[in-house]
Amino acid sequence: MVRRHTAEETKVAMHEVVAEMYDKIVKGEPPTMTLPVRTKNNIGFDSKLGVYKYGKKRSIRDATSLGSAKQLLRALHVVEFIEQMIDAGKSSTLREMYYISESWGMGKFGTQNDSNNLAEDLEIVTKCLREDFKLRPEEDGARMIGNLTLRERNRRGEWMRINARDDVGDSGYGVPYNVEEEKIELLEHDIDFIMAIETGGMFDRLIENGFDEDYRCGLLHLKGQPARSTRRIMKRMSEEWDLPVIVFLDGDPWSFRIFASIAYGAIKTAHISEYLATPSASYLGITSDDIVAYDLPSDDLSSKDIEALKAELSDPRFADSWWQDQINMMLDLGKKAEQQSLAKYGLDFVTDTYLPEKLKELGLA
Amino acid sequence: MGIAQKLAAGQKQVAISEFFEKNKHFLGFDSLARSLITAVKESVDNSLDACEEARMLPTLKIQINKVDSKKDIIEMKTTDNGPGLPQKSVEKVFGQLLFGSRFHAIRQSRGQQGIGITGVVMYSQLTTGSPTHVRSKIATEPTASVVDIGLDTRKNKATKSNSGREIWEDENGELIEHGLEITCRMKAKYQRGRQSVWQYLRMTSIVNPHADITFIDPEGEVHHWPRVTERLPTKVESIKPHPRGIHLGQLQRMCNESKDSRMTVFLRGNFSGVSSRSAKELCEASEIDVKVKPKSLKPDQVRSLLEAMQGEKTIAGKPVKLLNPPTNCLSPIEEMLIKKGLSKTIDSRYIITMTRTPSVANGNPYQVEVGLIFGGSMAADKHVEVLRFANRVPLMYQQGGCLLTKAIEAVNWRQYGLEQAGGKGLPKGPAAILVHLASTNVQFTSEAKEALADNGEVMEEARKAIMEMGRGLKKHLQKKKKMAKTQEKFELINDILPAIAEKSAQILDRPIPELSGSITKIMSAVISETQTTWNKETKMTDVEIILFNYTSRARSYTILCTWPEKFGAILANNEMGGRKEATGVWAWKLATLAPGERITLNYSLDGLEKGDWTETDVFYRGTQEVIGATKMDEKFLEEIRQQEKALKEAGIEISETNDIESLEIEEPQDIEDNQFEQPTVEVPDGQQTLFGGGN
Repeated sequence: MVRRHTAEETKVAMHEVVAEMYDKIVKGEPPTMTLPVRTKNNIGFDSKLGVYKYGKKRSIRDATSLGSAKQLLRALHVVEFIEQMIDAGKSSTLREMYYISESWGMGKFGTQNDSNNLAEDLEIVTKCLREDFKLRPEEDGARMIGNLTLRERNRRGEWMRINARDDVGDSGYGVPYNVEEEKIELLEHDIDFIMAIETGGMFDRLIENGFDEDYRCGLLHLKGQPARSTRRIMKRMSEEWDLPVIVFLDGDPWSFRIFASIAYGAIKTAHISEYLATPSASYLGITSDDIVAYDLPSDDLSSKDIEALKAELSDPRFADSWWQDQINMMLDLGKKAEQQSLAKYGLDFVTDTYLPEKLKELGLA
Repeated sequence: MGIAQKLAAGQKQVAISEFFEKNKHFLGFDSLARSLITAVKESVDNSLDACEEARMLPTLKIQINKVDSKKDIIEMKTTDNGPGLPQKSVEKVFGQLLFGSRFHAIRQSRGQQGIGITGVVMYSQLTTGSPTHVRSKIATEPTASVVDIGLDTRKNKATKSNSGREIWEDENGELIEHGLEITCRMKAKYQRGRQSVWQYLRMTSIVNPHADITFIDPEGEVHHWPRVTERLPTKVESIKPHPRGIHLGQLQRMCNESKDSRMTVFLRGNFSGVSSRSAKELCEASEIDVKVKPKSLKPDQVRSLLEAMQGEKTIAGKPVKLLNPPTNCLSPIEEMLIKKGLSKTIDSRYIITMTRTPSVANGNPYQVEVGLIFGGSMAADKHVEVLRFANRVPLMYQQGGCLLTKAIEAVNWRQYGLEQAGGKGLPKGPAAILVHLASTNVQFTSEAKEALADNGEVMEEARKAIMEMGRGLKKHLQKKKKMAKTQEKFELINDILPAIAEKSAQILDRPIPELSGSITKIMSAVISETQTTWNKETKMTDVEIILFNYTSRARSYTILCTWPEKFGAILANNEMGGRKEATGVWAWKLATLAPGERITLNYSLDGLEKGDWTETDVFYRGTQEVIGATKMDEKFLEEIRQQEKALKEAGIEISETNDIESLEIEEPQDIEDNQFEQPTVEVPDGQQTLFGGGN
């Protein structure tokens, strides 16, 4: 089970990684780092946790090729850097770490992606969280509006009480990158469900139309593929307040993946799925059915879209019959539709007709 | 029959200017751009031939000026340091169409049958009305002779004017000892690119590494191709015609002009490859009495004789056996010199060159040479550059129709690491391919002499040579790949692994661990690293071979290296001793290498110039594979020894015949040539020279 680690625990966990390399050299072997295989072929459903986790497949990164050896050296530099930050009470962004690596000589990162991946590798091997490592992402969190109240500790260490309807402007409450208990406490709410929305345009449309008040819900803007903090706060609200999470996205293969990462866990972060995923989340739309039923303006699937849909057919997270139907249907239609295509029937159609009808199907209205 | 011959034989009545106008396309004057190239070419060919005959190292200067851009009038000035021409000869050489002794002699020469420099004089005269100014200085006279040569196109004779003598000095005021300078004005266009004066001179410089060529283009830009060898091309001997290669007209003329009293004497004395026995047999086959005077032969008999010579008339169903013509009438450029010529002209990473042994096709001796240059700054996504040469003369037009191009296209380049659409046609890649045909009788597709005519034997010979080179390229590319991998492993164990050990020890606050065990596991191989570098100070080529044993067991090896012994290289500073195993192969038996141990071999090669030797092939004898070296193929070594033996035997013969030229420069080809005098005319086999034949 994923949990937060103290500074001391984090160091011990990291030292285990270092010791694996060191001990191998002492034994006269090439140094190694053992990692789970991070592809869809190595994720399986954990029925206890209700999410998808990495399976048993392990890959050993050993220093017999130049590329792998450099990765090991980088890992050592990252460990050293994290220890220094822990000791100094500092934190840095992944991008800052990428630039700091300029001074690591042979252990310098090739691309920003290298440094992101290595941070994830370390999380996986140590079972610590990025937050334990004092590393934060570049991506900013989501926006939130609705009658819910929380407490956030500001830079000066003071707790601020914020109501995400009364104390915020039109852009809503900005979710910080760290949404753990030391930073955010969920206080109270007067809503029936949380609706996660893919695009900013739709988020603003629902606010303008007063949907959050009419339908007693909290609106959350995902900004495309949701950041870890966005997924984490959704999970916390869903669990701590026992609220249903409704996901309202575009109707295309990439939206399906967004939903899968929210509800079942993302492949890249399957090591912390139970920490990020909200298994009770429901997909509201746009579904393949909707494209036909509402005769929505649509675009042809691109070859990449088709490739993605086909890959989803063999993805264990989409194995149930409902998803298989939806994916096959989209392939048959050869079409995809955006959330905002609902505007074909007027600006109020989404709030007056579409959402009420869909919520009814889900038993929420 | 050459066009000039035709001209001489039957068209004397036609005004030459008219003839020239009609035939300018195959005289090389069909376009304004080509006319200039032809003019430069004729002049340069003359200069190089003259220097070669006089055994002088040529220094040429070619200057092109635009006189009138609107009317396309160009002035060409070419200067050489050759022997010069006596005043009397100037008029003949420049004015008379058929002057020149080489027309009847059979040997490899540049201006084989063309109307040569006369054409330039004529073209200048016809297009601008200006005569050609010639300045000539021979060593035995104190001053240079100057003359303006025009052409009386009706009388086929030169007109001279303004002749006189003057003192000829160079830019520094130094007296010129000997040389020739030609200045002419013609209607022409200066162009850049693949078909340009620049390209022609560049190609000329590749196949004439002994020449120093300077070109000043119309913009005043100076292009200089320096001399890279002091060695002159092998002196070529004139040979008598071989019966297999003779034409009816020629035979008729020879018979007519003969003063011999008997056919057998005539045949033996005027043809190569004819023994007294085969002379008798030729007469028998053509039903001619051996005692008959050649001069009295009737046309029918001459025809019969020709048929017997060509093997059409037989004795008991068998053609008359003839000896091959001698091949010392050929002057190959030679592998090492092609290499130098290519590398001074084109920036590259890898060069392979190969000279095949001479062969005979239809009574004509010929020899194919090829070179391939790869990498460097050449474009990787374009077709390779094709550099075609016949008797050291660049061929610049009609590339597609040329036998030499077809030979390149007939090779499947994909198996050798170059791109080639459909496995056919010209390959693509950062490479240039050179093909040189040296022959006493180069067959062209047309009088323009820009493309070689199809000939199955020559084609096969060229294709074989090109394929051999392709194999060399493939080996090089594989080696490079392996080297890159090995290089990575070295970086791993020398830099990364120690850093991992140090950093992990520091984080864990433990002592830095010993690395040898991990290194052995990571490498788990025996590795050799070879460096061949030019040492500026000692003027020697330094070779260093390091052998690392990164396995867990002790290993012992014999290491063998190639060195260019044939080209006069001498092994120096060889402190490890060892012994010579064969020509150009040295061997060292090394002490046993314990796990983790290394051993370094150092030696130098003296007697070479910079760029002569850039890659040393390293072989090994031993059980465990050595990365960076090739397991010695004992058969290969045996082959070299056999050839060596053959050479030695041939060498004795040579000293008997007092062929000093060959002995002095120790040319393996020349020695082998002598072997070729013996066999009868047969399809030439593809035997390669010792040096190029490797593996």
